[in-house]
This record gives sequence, C-alpha cells and structure tokens, in this order.
Amino acid sequence: MKVKMNKKIIMIFAFVFIVLAINNVSAVFNNTGCCEETKNGFFCQNVQEQECKGVWEPTSCDSTSYCKAGTCYESIEGTCSSNTPRIVCNKVLNGSWSAERPAACNLGCCVLGDQAAFVSLVRCKRLSGMLGLQTIFNKNINNEVQCVLGVQNQDKGACVYELDFEDTCKFTTRAECTGVNGSVKGEFFKNKLCTDPELGTNCERTRDTICVPGKDEVYFRDSCGNAGNIYDASKIEDVEYWTNVKTKTDSCNSKSANSNSKTCGNCNYMLGSFCSDSKTAGTRPIYGSNICADLNCEKTANGQSYRHGESWCVYDDEGTTGKGDNAVGARFYKHICVNGEEILEQCADFKQEECIEDKIKTPYGDFNEAACRVNRWQDCLLQMNELDCKNTDKRDCLWKEDIKLNSSFEGTCVPKNTPGIKFWEGEDAKAICGQASVKCVVTFEEGLVSGEKCVKNCECLTTGWLNSRNDICKSLGDCGPKINWLGKIGYKTGYNYTIGKK
Amino acid sequence: MMNSNYYKCKKIMNIMDKRGEKGQLAIFVIIALVIVFVIAVIFLFPRLKIALSGGEFTPEKYLRSCIEPEIKPKMELLNKQGGYANPQGFLVLNETNGVEKIKYLCYTNEYYKTCTVQEAMIKTHYEQELNNLMKEKIKDCATSLKTAYEGRGYSVSQGAIKSSIDIVSSKMNVKFDVPMSVSKNQESNKYNGFTVEIRTEMYNLLILSQTIVEFENIYGDSEITTFMAYYPHLKIEKIKLSEGSKVYILSDIKTGESFRFASRSLSWPPGYRLQ
Repeated sequence: MKVKMNKKIIMIFAFVFIVLAINNVSAVFNNTGCCEETKNGFFCQNVQEQECKGVWEPTSCDSTSYCKAGTCYESIEGTCSSNTPRIVCNKVLNGSWSAERPAACNLGCCVLGDQAAFVSLVRCKRLSGMLGLQTIFNKNINNEVQCVLGVQNQDKGACVYELDFEDTCKFTTRAECTGVNGSVKGEFFKNKLCTDPELGTNCERTRDTICVPGKDEVYFRDSCGNAGNIYDASKIEDVEYWTNVKTKTDSCNSKSANSNSKTCGNCNYMLGSFCSDSKTAGTRPIYGSNICADLNCEKTANGQSYRHGESWCVYDDEGTTGKGDNAVGARFYKHICVNGEEILEQCADFKQEECIEDKIKTPYGDFNEAACRVNRWQDCLLQMNELDCKNTDKRDCLWKEDIKLNSSFEGTCVPKNTPGIKFWEGEDAKAICGQASVKCVVTFEEGLVSGEKCVKNCECLTTGWLNSRNDICKSLGDCGPKINWLGKIGYKTGYNYTIGKK
Repeated sequence: MMNSNYYKCKKIMNIMDKRGEKGQLAIFVIIALVIVFVIAVIFLFPRLKIALSGGEFTPEKYLRSCIEPEIKPKMELLNKQGGYANPQGFLVLNETNGVEKIKYLCYTNEYYKTCTVQEAMIKTHYEQELNNLMKEKIKDCATSLKTAYEGRGYSVSQGAIKSSIDIVSSKMNVKFDVPMSVSKNQESNKYNGFTVEIRTEMYNLLILSQTIVEFENIYGDSEITTFMAYYPHLKIEKIKLSEGSKVYILSDIKTGESFRFASRSLSWPPGYRLQ
C-alpha cells in the first residue's frame, strides 16, 4: 500500500475541447409522398400531405398515373419535351403525353437552304414554313454532325431566273435553284456570283455590305440583295472578285481576327470577331455599315486578357484554396468573356462546387475553359490511408499524416476545400465540428524527491499540438478559429482548450 | 388735275392698305384656329394621330399602332417573370425596385435530385399568356378600327373578335380573327381578319430556355458557355443562389430583349447533412 503510495502516479487529465456554439434545432422526421400540385404551385413534388392541394399518394411520383414522367409532344411546333410529368403536359395546348417516346419525336436532318437542323419532321415543316422554303427532311441521317456536314458540302452559286421579263439572280444552293427545294427555279452557275457580267442579270455591284445569318464574316452585297465575297476594300472595283466565289482562306487576312478592321471583313469567331453593325462596334469601315466587331476581353478583373468564349476561375475572397482552410462564406467563381464583356457565374454556395480550369489546344492557340464542378469532399473523413485519400478520380481530399482523428487510421483525410456549414442553425455544425474534439490524457509521474515528470501524451500540452488540432478542426468545415471571406476573424475563439487535473 | 389724281390714288391706296391689314388679320385668325383645331384633334384622338402619321390608312397599320404601345410592357412583365403574369411556384427575388417573382420552369424541393419540368412548352405558354393579357386591348383596337372606318365615311359590319399570338423567328404575329366588311359608295372590302407583325427576337430566347430546362431536368445543370458559342447574338447569365436555385437570364445582344426564369435542380445541402 505504501509502495503504491510512493509510486503514486499523479494523473493529470488534460481535457481539450474544441467546440462551437450552436443553436439546437430538433430534426423532425417526416412522411412524404407524391403531390400532384403543392399549395405553393409546384407540380409533382415529394412533400407531406398537408402541403399538398391536389392528389397526394404516399409513394414516389413515378409510381403515380398523374406524375409519371414521359414525353410531351406539341403538334404545332413539333417539339418534344422528355421526362415530363403527365399533368404538366396535359396543361399544354395541343400537347399529348405518352410514356414511350412517340415516332413523331424521331429526329432527322432538315435542310433549310444552306443550313441544316437536326429536328423532328413536324418541326422541320414548321422551320421551313417560317423561312419560306420547301420541306426537305432526311430521316436516314441519324446524327447532327453528318446532317450539318451534308449541307455544308452543297454546291453554291448564281441562280439565274426571269422575273417581270428581266433576268435576275439569287445566290443559293443548286438544290434550291433547280426546284428541288423550291422557292426559285432557274439556271444554276456553280461558284459564280450574281454580279458576274457574263450572266447578264440585273444584279450589280454596290458599295454596301451585309452580315449573313450563320456566317462570321462581312460580305459585299449586290443590288439584288445577295451576298458577294468577303468584304475587302481593295477589291471593291475588282471585276474578278465580283465574278467568282472566293473561299475564306483566299480572302483578306484569313489568319487574323480582323477586329475593327476598316478594310477587311474576314471575321473569325474562334479568334474573337464577328460581323456586326459598325454603330454598335464603334468603328466605321471605309465602305458599308458592317465591321468585324471585337468580341475579346482586354484586361479583365484578374488583369489578363481573354478571347471571346474563354472562361476562367476566380477566387478573390480572403483565405486560401486547396489547403483545407477556406474562409467562411468564401465562394468559387467562373468568369466568362462574352462579346467583349466579362460575366461571372457563381459556383454553388457553401463550397459545394469548386471551379476547375484547363487549357485546350486549338489551331488558334490555347483556349482557356473553366467549369463549376461538385466538390467531392463528402467521404474524405472515412479514408483510412493516403492512397485512398488522394484518389482524385473519386474525391477531392487532402492527407494529413501527422494527425489522427481515429487511432486506427494512418493519418487524417480532410476536404481539400472545406465545405460551408449553416452553423447558425441546426445540429449539423455541432456534429461535424465536434469530430475534432478530443480528450487527451497526459500522464505525469511524481519524482522520488520532488516534482512531476510527464511520461505519456506530453505533446498534448504543447502549442504545436493545439495548432495541429485546430488545423484538423478548421479543415472539417466552417469550424474552429477561422476568418470569413472578408478576412475578418470571428467574435469567439472558435474552440475551448481546457486543462484539468484528476 | 394731276394733284387731285395723286390724292385720289393715295386715298385709294390707304383704304386698300387698311383693308389689307384687316385681311391679313383675318388670315392669321383662320390659321390660328386651324392650328388649334389640329392640336385639339391630335390630343383628343391619339389613335387617329398615330394612324395619320403613318401615311396611308390600312387596317394593319392602324391595329399595329394601337397594340404596339401596350404589348411591349406586357412582354416585359412576362419576360421578367418566366413567361407568367401571375406565377405560381416562383422564386422571390429582392431587387432594388421591390420584390420580384420568377417562375420556376423546373423544380425539385429535394436535394441531390434533378428537377421536375413545371412547364413543358415554354413558347406555347408564353403565346397564350400574352394573348390573355392582350385580349381586351385587341378587342378595343378592333372596335376602334371600326370607328375609324366609320369616321371616314365607310359603313362597317364586324363579327365576333378573337385573337391569337404566334411567335416565330424574328417576329411575332398578332392575329385579329375578326370578320369585317367595309363599304363606301361602290367600293367594298371583306376581311376575314388581320395579322399584325411585331419585330421581336423572343423566339430564340424561348426556344433556348426550353433547351436549358431540358438540360436542368436531365443533368441538373446546363453549360451556358457552350450555348453562347452556338448563339453568338445571345448572352446568357446564370445566377446561383444559396439554397440551390438558379436564375437564368437570356438576352438578345442586338435588340436588348431578355427573358429570365428560375430552376432548382441537383442542389447540394450545406454541410454534411448528418441530421
């Protein structure tokens, strides 16, 4: 007993708690079912019976007759809406619902002059009608690329026909000219322009230009309203240039965007220029009223210049990213350059999405593309080893070897970008942040003469240990001593560190 | 003799001058009355003013001038509320000029799930909604057309007035389905109805909205950058709100027209959702 007393071991329990103050809100378990129409006016939602003003059944919506998803077909426009509940389709004028996709929704290639659309037959008729064209629909073409390529390869040229006892001309496709596609019927001259003197039509050269729907470039316009070759100020009096069709590569500065060029209308959408009204663009060309407007963005918010259509990631809130310590309320943003304007798209709040970006090699140089992608942090804490933690095919996590949340793990796997939490409500935050709470028992041995000597878990009393626990705490979410997106620290310390004796 | 003649002439000239002054005064008074009358007519009959200012009187021109000032604000209302005048199932957005409602065209109240389509045919619905909003005005315009003809000395008989709106590429056709016969002296015209064309780029905006809703429904999101690459004249903005809703704003760069709607699809709850 005495020996025991002499070898009295003084146990000092150091309790370290890292806990956030959270309001308690009890979770309620609810029975939900499929509601035809809710009191808020939503169709086919999974809600409790008392929230429903229409028919309610305690089952999934796909099992009900009124909310079963199918295809809604509208017979006037010829459009099909898939995955549509029956009740929503029934409200549509001329709409008919079917569980299986109807044959009327089958797609084919619709030829619309020198353009094409991969649509249903009824839709093709509707589009042709709008453009005053005869319907040409090929149901045997079953992919969009083939459809578009087929149209691009059509012969084009001058179509000479008689109107009011006078020879006139339309620049069009062979099919349209020879009556296959119907609006005109005349003699077709492949790769010839209507202003070819040998054709002897009433179409003459002008000094005016036009933008052609579906084309990037500025074109000369003849007196009959047809598009000629690409606008080139030096060729305005060149008879040959007004006689034969020239390709884009044979036209002026074909490797350049020709943005705001007064002399060349060879715009290139991929390089960031597009045919536009010169008033809108702010620069006047030598001839005509159209110009290659500059669509690119100079000196954006991050100081760099981007091409039209390029997108990039921006994280301009305080704090860091990818280190498991994002600021509270911080968010990822995707910026996009559109028509010379920088617009932004927020990634989902609470860092449920993160922004990723990469460069694509194109014939015109690197093209930056960004996207908001789901932040896959959910199962980080469950990973027991580094290999699984760093598996970027499955998750976005960070491995911290020196700290262990669970003694059976080799380290701790935490989210690379910490998720936000609604810490001001509910029990979630308490449960999440509480995982970092730890009780460390430090053992002291009383010396024979005097004093105490730490023999076990002594590191728990060091500042380093406290900091590492805080790091773990912060990487779980909006927990612990964090700053907010403006860089301001919280009103509370964010943790409790208590040392007690036993 | 010479002197007496001179004074006679001078006297006559004086009388004539005085008469001329009176005549001038009368002319000025008449001109002033005409101006006052014209101004009064213009102010009292604004529709007549529009029809007159357009040159030749045609029913289409008259009806167009009658409905166009009214249809634009109605379209703006629909455009900012997702195509609904009184939306049910909407997102409340606090804006500088007050609270605005935006219809959810695709919605789920749950997390992790893609949305359920709330409006299957956006364009068709928009046309119907606009027609409902314009129905009374269209009737008024058709009735005032009759009055305008009668004011021009025609005898007019008009049947029941119906209307429909059809939005097609680059324009909108407002159809006045109103049988009408107009006659004056030997001249007689019969009409089955009239179609007024109004320039608008709403067609592309509504069709693209439908495509975006399909993407939201199937994939839970849509890539606006790709859409903008396909449609160079359109600008698309996507605003993501904290609770998982998105507001899409589609604008035509040339005309400035824009259409916006809300969607809530494949949203993620904040935190671990442990409860």
